[in-house]
Amino acid sequence: MFRKLYNWFDSRTGVQASLEEALYENIPGGAKWRYVSGSMLVFAFMTQMITGLFLWMHYSPGSQNAWASVYYITFEMEGGNLLRGIHHVMAQAMVCLLPIHLLQVVIEKAYTKPREFNWWLGLVLMKITLALGLTGYLLPWDQKGYWATKVATELAALPPLIGGLTQKIIVGGADYGHFTLTRFFALHAGVLPGLLIGFLVLHLAMFRKHGITAHSSPHRPDQLFWPMQVLKDGIACALLFAVVVFAAIAEPVELGPPAEPTEAFGAARPEWYFLFLFQMLKYFDGSLGFNTELVGAIVLPGVLFGFMFAMPLIARKKFGHHLNVTVIVVIISAAAYLTWEAKQEDNYHLNHPDDVQSEAYKKSKRFHDEVGRSEKEFELIQQLVQDYGIPLEGPAVLQQRDPLTMGLRLFRRQCASCHAYSHDEYAIAGPPNPAAASDSPLNYGAPDLAHFGSVKWIEGLLSNDADNGIRSESYFGKTLHIEGEMAEHVYETMWAAAETDADRQALATQIEQVAWALSAEAQLPYIDYAANQEKIDAGIAHLNDDTFGCIGCHNYGDNEDGYVINLNGYASADWLTKMISDPTQTGFYDGGSENDRMPSFHSEATKLLTPREIELLVRFLREDRTLLED
Amino acid sequence: MNEAKPEQNDSESSPVLETNERRGFLGSAAAITAAALGGLLGVGPLAIGLYATVMDPLRKKKPPLKNTGGTGVAGAKEGFYFVAQIGEIDSHVPRRFTIVADKIDAWNFMKNQPIGSVYMRMQGEQVECFHTTCPHAGCAVSYELESQSYLCPCHNSSFKVDGSKLEGGGSSNPSPRGLDALEVDVQGTSVFVKYEDYFTGRHDKIAK
Repeated sequence: MFRKLYNWFDSRTGVQASLEEALYENIPGGAKWRYVSGSMLVFAFMTQMITGLFLWMHYSPGSQNAWASVYYITFEMEGGNLLRGIHHVMAQAMVCLLPIHLLQVVIEKAYTKPREFNWWLGLVLMKITLALGLTGYLLPWDQKGYWATKVATELAALPPLIGGLTQKIIVGGADYGHFTLTRFFALHAGVLPGLLIGFLVLHLAMFRKHGITAHSSPHRPDQLFWPMQVLKDGIACALLFAVVVFAAIAEPVELGPPAEPTEAFGAARPEWYFLFLFQMLKYFDGSLGFNTELVGAIVLPGVLFGFMFAMPLIARKKFGHHLNVTVIVVIISAAAYLTWEAKQEDNYHLNHPDDVQSEAYKKSKRFHDEVGRSEKEFELIQQLVQDYGIPLEGPAVLQQRDPLTMGLRLFRRQCASCHAYSHDEYAIAGPPNPAAASDSPLNYGAPDLAHFGSVKWIEGLLSNDADNGIRSESYFGKTLHIEGEMAEHVYETMWAAAETDADRQALATQIEQVAWALSAEAQLPYIDYAANQEKIDAGIAHLNDDTFGCIGCHNYGDNEDGYVINLNGYASADWLTKMISDPTQTGFYDGGSENDRMPSFHSEATKLLTPREIELLVRFLREDRTLLED
Repeated sequence: MNEAKPEQNDSESSPVLETNERRGFLGSAAAITAAALGGLLGVGPLAIGLYATVMDPLRKKKPPLKNTGGTGVAGAKEGFYFVAQIGEIDSHVPRRFTIVADKIDAWNFMKNQPIGSVYMRMQGEQVECFHTTCPHAGCAVSYELESQSYLCPCHNSSFKVDGSKLEGGGSSNPSPRGLDALEVDVQGTSVFVKYEDYFTGRHDKIAK
């Protein structure tokens, strides 16, 4: 019955003949494990097509949606992480298999007469595969992909005359935007796979025409492709798939924070298999007196590729084949070395932990800091997405409303050259060299602003502790205020009067109460004031009774004789806004005579920050993560 | 293998078939394993892709934690949406009201979006409410003052003002059931409706 049905089907379709044609390929010398690399590449590509198609069903190109849809695939879709993970890992596997396949062909001399065309087709396939890798890297539209791809498209503009035009065509305009994504996506999911299929068909047809480059041997009889070689290919592909799935599960595919054109990403690196090209560019530094970047980015790779193209012709000459093998080995070794060197440079500070002062150490440290910062930004946006969802305007808008994300950015840009922020979770290093000699221009360092206005912070300000008191580097240690009236008052008046341990204990208790009273002015969202009302009341009494002599200089409550730093509403949102906007105004460093180098960030004369940015910074300093309204 | 390929029209004459390995197509353990592996390999990536694609639409999307209740009318019961103040509903002519609520569309969360519409009319003290979707094939019906009936612009379905099918109105009426009535909850002067979608084209009203 089945036989009959099959015969009916076969007589109309010729399926038997096609199968036999496909499977009964003669393999001189029999099936071998080393013939599997080609089949593995085909299988890898097939996997990319299938997983890619399913990713396509959920991906949305466009600068508002791209990151959001990839975020959705990666973190919200069931099985989505594995799907994207397989696509991501298999792409890398493909790039690893390419040079293996290529080396085999070269070593077996399978690129020479009469197989020149198949070699050329193979080179084209390699280029297409690499182009797929490059275009795919941008599609998630995260910081990493955005900045790394930007470098690639900037390089596309290098060639004289046509460069600028080429770049505009690839990018879809002068700037990165919707059209960059739609174009890259069409290339990645349409044009390039289409071309790859076309060239692959030719490659395979040509391969079948010439057969495997092997010779029959008396010791090993010929075999047909089916079943032994198919079995070997199948096992190899199954192993590849298993390894890829395992890798995708063991290390779930990541996503960076969304692309932000105004927030430079200091850890932009291409995907690792392009790292050798990236590294090579460092050697073309213009020291020869002309634009050598063009040479490094385009001319040299072009020449090398041209050489590979010419290899079948070179092989016709005497020793040509040996030259080819030598050059290919040199190219692959050089690429491997450059990749290794790039990795070494980026990890220098890990491998040389003692070489703190060297440029190499600082560079790799900066690189790793940037990677860490990017991971932190991703954590923040992930939390925002879980809490608020992604607005239609895209994830960047959500970030721009978040005091924590923006506070960290703004603080780093505007404040960290003087202030440190040694928060447990979101530390920002302060000025680079606080330990420099006192006459060094680097000798600046304003108070550490982590938990500014909290009870602990104020207690520290009123302490004479060498490590964490008012004259320590956490407060006025590196400012002119170290010799100012406030520090002198804390040391010479408050603490000098406490002579016995019991006195000091009593003073510490009073200081704690005053700190509670002042912090209550701030009403910081992370402190429970209601539960400590007694301390607050006691502190208010101390302030009003002028126990420490505060209100000789500071305004507090009914006392309006102070001339510096108003304590009413101390560290409140309004107070901080005024302090950051213009610290020289009345109620702060009045007239500026008491101000030590703190700039006005938004005053008549200066507009370093917009009011909106100041509001974000204020909420950040108060650890109030309420989103800003649009 | 540099010899010319044989013609394809006769499947039994390929020269390679005569070699020593020619056996039944699935004649050996190696062949069976190879075929099974080949099949499995094709299925692997496909299965993962299909799983993700099929599972995702079945999953109910959860609203984000800190962003709910955009319409801000208090007192809504589970599944009910605020539609109108009771005074806005006429006792003769059904009026169309848009339901505004927070909307989740895959990764996007949008506050105060129109998510659907209903027709409402007072029936004595009771509020009568119908889904605007025609139960036949999902077009939107509209109320015609002239004929005092709901008409569907697509396939001529028509309904009386009380929502029941209009029979024998001179033309065919393909709708399998009357308009879908929605549950109404009045709290003070606020009217809430249990807004949900139903499968079309079926005799029974089944929620999606």
